[in-house]
Amino acid sequence: MNKIMELTDITKKYKEKMVLDNLSLSIYQQQIAALVGSNGSGKSTLLKITAGLVKADHGAINKLIHPLKIGYVPEVTPADLPFTPEEYLMHMGTIRGMDKQLLKNRIEMLVHTFQLQSNIHIKMSRFSKGMKQKMMIMQAMLEETDLLILDEPLSGLDPKAQMDLEKLLLTLKEQGLSILLTCHETKLLENAVDRVLFLQNHQVIDSTLSTDTIQKVNKLIFEIPARQTFEELLSSMKIIQKVHLTPMIIRVEAVVNEEATDDLIRQLLVKQVSIKQLLPINEAKEAFYQGFFKQGDEKL
Amino acid sequence: MKGLLHYQFISYLRSYQYVPPLSLFIILLIVNYTYTPNPILDSYSFTSLMLFFIMGWFTVTIFHVEDPGQKQITLLHSQSLSKYYVSLYLLAALIGLFLSIVAVASPIAFGAFGVKTRILHVLLGVLSHFSLAFLSIGLSAVFTRDIVKKRINTWWGVLSVLVISLSLVAFKASFLQVKGLIWLVPPVYLPLEMMASDDSLPFIPEVFYWRFGFVFLYGIFFIAIFLLIIKRKSNFH
Repeated sequence: MNKIMELTDITKKYKEKMVLDNLSLSIYQQQIAALVGSNGSGKSTLLKITAGLVKADHGAINKLIHPLKIGYVPEVTPADLPFTPEEYLMHMGTIRGMDKQLLKNRIEMLVHTFQLQSNIHIKMSRFSKGMKQKMMIMQAMLEETDLLILDEPLSGLDPKAQMDLEKLLLTLKEQGLSILLTCHETKLLENAVDRVLFLQNHQVIDSTLSTDTIQKVNKLIFEIPARQTFEELLSSMKIIQKVHLTPMIIRVEAVVNEEATDDLIRQLLVKQVSIKQLLPINEAKEAFYQGFFKQGDEKL
Repeated sequence: MKGLLHYQFISYLRSYQYVPPLSLFIILLIVNYTYTPNPILDSYSFTSLMLFFIMGWFTVTIFHVEDPGQKQITLLHSQSLSKYYVSLYLLAALIGLFLSIVAVASPIAFGAFGVKTRILHVLLGVLSHFSLAFLSIGLSAVFTRDIVKKRINTWWGVLSVLVISLSLVAFKASFLQVKGLIWLVPPVYLPLEMMASDDSLPFIPEVFYWRFGFVFLYGIFFIAIFLLIIKRKSNFH
């Protein structure tokens, strides 16, 4: 995986309080990295230094692709904006000094990617927090972006909006973006993040989960008529739970290898199965986070 | 800068926060010119002072109109702290200029003066209104949220500095006795002194332009102080 940015020996003090102490960190292409740490540990400061918004007292920032375009989404989502998404993005782009036609094309592309076509003429003051958060990401991507930096993107979002955002981040990653974010929510950590950076004692502890070595699996939940048998399919999946919802219906929760998923679903549908949920999961990651949060609980 | 100014203007327009000070300004203008005829320069002197106070109100609402979260984003896109705040000052100054023109033109349009107005009256009127409006913007902005954290202190600060500036006009004579001190107080007295001239003034003395210039300079001095404090407080670079 290619490095796009390197921070070396970064030190930052606010008055006499040490926030970051000789910290070093690398950011890789097409990777979602989460910065985890307690309140006041310096997560936001590190993000701002990475984005070039705050100057480090000491240390070097080396950009390995030129020009490296960085988009920044601050923690606070504006509560009241008297603009439609189109007006808002046009204003922000014009303030940036972007060419009008280029800006229009870019907005069109972003609206399509973020699926906001039906809301393009609605005032943003009527938007939900999740939609406003999408707008915040869009404004950060007005120019072609290589690295997207998000400060607490899930803060205050309901589970549905969190899931939408998570999917969106994965889509952006697939399009080639690197993403660096801070978060507390375990949900996002489990499903989207490739790499976790713990900020502790003014230092970063890198807990890279190499995507190359992790086997990708899906969680499949389906309901099957009790009269149907599916023993012949057991070799393709690992049953986690089997519950009789009614005497006629059994609900099954299973884990399936990513490559085997399509075939298995096809065979299940023949047996009049109703598919309830299909989620990508990462067993190694789950084990890692379970360990991490267990460790946190022990500390408490 | 044009894009930033346009954005700030639309934000302010759609916030409707200009409605109370603008309404007060219009009401006071109407009340002032209810009975006719009126002296020209004296009337302009009063409405200039009125604008001096009302402009404080406009300035605070202009500097506070943007959502604090959005302000961070706008700052990022503008890529310059000075550019961002200069756009706010420009918007306030343009509103001040517009209101100055309204305050000078409306009594002429409605025939509220007893004698025929000359270019000299119009020029002195606009200069007097706009110089005091500009001074008010400079003084008031120092008490806005980027420097004064509590909103209540903003209003107290703005009101106090404007009232004190005006009350110093009365003490001007005693200040003059202490050489040099007069240059330190906000020069509200200068436009008022000049506007105390008779309506039959044959031409504008050259010294008047220098005095108006000094009022603008005083406003610019406070703007520079504001920008210096903001740059010191901010981590933005």
